Amino acid sequence: MIKIDQKAVSRKEFITVEFFYMSTRNLFQLELYSDTSGFNRKIFEQNLHRPGLALAGFVDLFSFSRVQVFGNTETQYLSQLNKEQRIKAIERIFQFNIPCIILTDNNKPFPELLELSNKYKIPLFGTPFSTTKLVYFVSDFLDDQFAERISIHGSFVDVYGTGMLFIGKSGIGKSEVALDLVERGHRLVADDLIILTKKGEGILMGSGTNMGRHFMEIRGLGIIDVERMFGIRAIRYQKRLEIVVELEIWDDNTEYTRTGLDQEHVTISGIDIPYVKLPILPGKNVTVISEVISLNYLLKHYGYKAAESFQERLNKKISEKNKDDMRGVEYFEHDFE
Amino acid sequence: MIEKIVKIKNKAGLHTRPAATIVKLASKYKCEFFIAKDGLNINGKSIIGVMTLAAETGSELILTFEGEDEQLASDEITDFFNRGFDEP
Repeated sequence: MIKIDQKAVSRKEFITVEFFYMSTRNLFQLELYSDTSGFNRKIFEQNLHRPGLALAGFVDLFSFSRVQVFGNTETQYLSQLNKEQRIKAIERIFQFNIPCIILTDNNKPFPELLELSNKYKIPLFGTPFSTTKLVYFVSDFLDDQFAERISIHGSFVDVYGTGMLFIGKSGIGKSEVALDLVERGHRLVADDLIILTKKGEGILMGSGTNMGRHFMEIRGLGIIDVERMFGIRAIRYQKRLEIVVELEIWDDNTEYTRTGLDQEHVTISGIDIPYVKLPILPGKNVTVISEVISLNYLLKHYGYKAAESFQERLNKKISEKNKDDMRGVEYFEHDFE
Repeated sequence: MIEKIVKIKNKAGLHTRPAATIVKLASKYKCEFFIAKDGLNINGKSIIGVMTLAAETGSELILTFEGEDEQLASDEITDFFNRGFDEP
């Protein structure tokens, strides 16, 4: 079974506003209004906040540590104040340690807001997106940034569109299986070191590291570059983890699944992933079996379960009164092919 | 299970040659060997894993050994780290 050491689990504590801006400026079409003096401010959580009430004077429970979104409400509110009141309202929230502010819907900042954000070193951005859209985008981005990341030793391959992670003792041949699968037209996500990231509820996304991307070690040969060798069709950057396959040397004392009626699972970071333990034997083609595992998973996914179907047949046969011939063909009618 | 914290002492850091030596040393033993740094926990018997750490001089690594011959493995590998990979 898979066991995950706490040392392999990490989570970003914060990101800087600079990192946030650099990673998302194109995605969210962010425009920087203020100067960059507040770029070292930190964002600690994925939630966003609309500071309408705080601007109006109610600062109890003000979630100042979140990214602040100024939508039409905030902008309208500020515009109906006179200049002094506006400065007072803005300064009221600027007393707090705010990471940054985003103006949505192409709203341009008031001169006072711009001036004060430079003075208090709070970065000010604008975006053409509506508040609802921006909140959705930014939450998703931050959610990903602050998600739990798990590093796992194995090989991760997309087999017929199913994300399969091969695990097992070092030297058992995970990379060789991955290479064989690539040769047969499947796509390598990463070899050796896989980073799994929790995405939403119940989804784990797998990718490689920025260093080890699509490099692979084959024992006795050394390091090879799969992307260079097999071309773009042989790789992909990310894939949802759907099946964990553990390779192990055949052990007479271990019981292996025979009917496949009960699907085993492993739990990674609270998420259940279907799990198959695959014993390795001479003459056993793990690659082909992997393809079959994937196809079987797809069949199950689309509602057909071979083991259950066979069981139904069996039950029907048992309950039938007059059992006819066991032969699969009733009558070989002049067909001698 | 044995856990050891080691520091990279040589100037060049954990580059290809010492990485290859570590993997070779580790592969002699039956026990599992993992190296952790910055939330990455890599298999110490895999060259790509060890190189992915890109451990620079001064950085700290946590070595974990688990299995029948863990004591012998831990002694030899920890010693190799502490000697600064026999490099300046």
